[in-house]
Amino acid sequence: MTKRIPLIAREQKRMYTIFIAVALVLFIATSFYTNFNIMTLAQNSDAFWAFITKDFFPPALPKASRIPGVLSSVVVTLALAMSSTTIAAVLAFFVSLFASEKISPFPKLAKYVRGFATFLRNIPALVWAFILFSSLGIGTGVGFVALLITSFAFMVRAFVETIEDVSQDCVESLQAVGAGFWQRVWQAILPSCLNGFLSWFLYCIEVNIRASTIVGMVGGGGVGLTLFSYIKGFQYDIAFSIILLIAAMVIVVDRITGKLRKEILK
Amino acid sequence: MDKILKFENVSKHYPNGVHALKNVSFEVNEGEFVSIIGPSGSGKSTILRSINKLIPISDGNITLDGLLVSQQKGKELRKLRRKVGMIFQNYNLVYSLSVLQNVLHGRLGYMDGLKGIFGLYSEEDKKEAINLLNELGMEQFCYNRASDLSGGQKQRVGIARAIMQNPKLLLCDEPIASLDPSSAKTIMDLLRDMTRKRNIACIVNLHQLDVAIKYSTRIIGLSKGEVVFDGPPEKLTDDVIERIYNTSRENLMIGGAGNDKKDSADCA
Ligand SMILES: Nc1ncnc2c1ncn2[C@@H]1O[C@H](COP(=O)(O)OP(=O)(O)O)[C@@H](O)[C@H]1O
Ligand SMILES: [Mg+2]
Repeated sequence: MTKRIPLIAREQKRMYTIFIAVALVLFIATSFYTNFNIMTLAQNSDAFWAFITKDFFPPALPKASRIPGVLSSVVVTLALAMSSTTIAAVLAFFVSLFASEKISPFPKLAKYVRGFATFLRNIPALVWAFILFSSLGIGTGVGFVALLITSFAFMVRAFVETIEDVSQDCVESLQAVGAGFWQRVWQAILPSCLNGFLSWFLYCIEVNIRASTIVGMVGGGGVGLTLFSYIKGFQYDIAFSIILLIAAMVIVVDRITGKLRKEILK
Repeated sequence: MDKILKFENVSKHYPNGVHALKNVSFEVNEGEFVSIIGPSGSGKSTILRSINKLIPISDGNITLDGLLVSQQKGKELRKLRRKVGMIFQNYNLVYSLSVLQNVLHGRLGYMDGLKGIFGLYSEEDKKEAINLLNELGMEQFCYNRASDLSGGQKQRVGIARAIMQNPKLLLCDEPIASLDPSSAKTIMDLLRDMTRKRNIACIVNLHQLDVAIKYSTRIIGLSKGEVVFDGPPEKLTDDVIERIYNTSRENLMIGGAGNDKKDSADCA
């Protein structure tokens, strides 16, 4: 009798089996722990549907006198995302120069700079917003800082990777020429990495448009706060229009940045 | 003849424990064209990079133009580096900048402050860069992006950048390893003619034995971090070659043995 010939290595097969088993056990354990049951959702689906169809539909416009205010809150959200990302990008550029052993004039410190950025990055913008609201009070300024911190930390990491990928060779040749640190930065690193930096910057704008809506809901101002106030006032039909407005805003921005990014990387 | 470079018992241990250079000693005089040959991993690149302190050495002394390399720091080190042009296997240009900008990078070692940072070169420097590009047959590419050039053209830009430094010594780390045989010949001819004309000493790492024999005034053979030969090409006997490469001369020639081989027939 001939044995069947396996198509993948046996260890690999075992790993897949273990992985699936673990995922299944985790799902059962966590469902049990959180009392989540897919059946309850199905049982409550009537109430859920009633809520959606009766309270949300049809979307209604806010009072005419309120419309300019709503639109300007969209502009505030956009401005919040753009300005915080821009300032974060400039700061991240300078910090990332010191976060890579390969180019920093103080290679021994690079590890700590990266560690600091990682620490900041691993705290979500929403948590930063709450921390800052409790110490500084609510307002767009605080939302701005919360977004600034997270996108700064994200871009430091992304920029370091871009720098190490792209400019290793030309940095070495400028070093050999006798160029100083800032000469290497401006004449080699910046020109060769600029497109990479811009691409990450646009990606961060996409992320921050969403994040600034959420940060706005908890007190950062903008369209998020407008939405939240209609929900609190049980005016779900108006809230629904605003949700549609937010979706439209996100889609438009995504398409613009997506197009720009494609253009840049050509 | 003036002595430009002197290695005295130089050793290099990399942090990972590799003993890349063992007691290396040699000298280079003005006007010499020296090839360093040896199998890959024998320490050729380490020698070149220790000359301008891109890599610090562990032991021994390197004297460049009368100065001890290991003692140079900061501004002094920049001054020392600008006396030494360097040419790389992968050209190491800034590809998003123009050819002219890349050539002018050779002047950065002479510039301080904001002018150097933002690349505000003097008109004389620009004129000299254009003249050099003329000499290299590259004048029509001045304003092309460096990324749009062929390999041989990129290496010519690399040569122009190095010559712009007004160097006393030129270091070339496998300058033709990524080129086709005909561009390789052009580059080697240019290296020899331009350094001869300007009286620049030249050290070239090569792994094409025939190219080394054809162009060099002297050859240094390296094996496992040790100098096993140092002499004129005529003295490079089959015995010596076997000691450098640990294999016979016939085995080194792609396309069989024989003395009628073409230029750089075994280029990588
Ligand atoms: N940065 C480095 N860190 C550790 N080991 C290195 C490094 N660079 C080179 N080496 C080692 O040193 C030895 C000599 O390398 P190299 O000078 O590049 O040789 P070659 O240029 O002749 O091929 C090799 O064994 C190589 O693996
Ligand atoms: Mg090498």
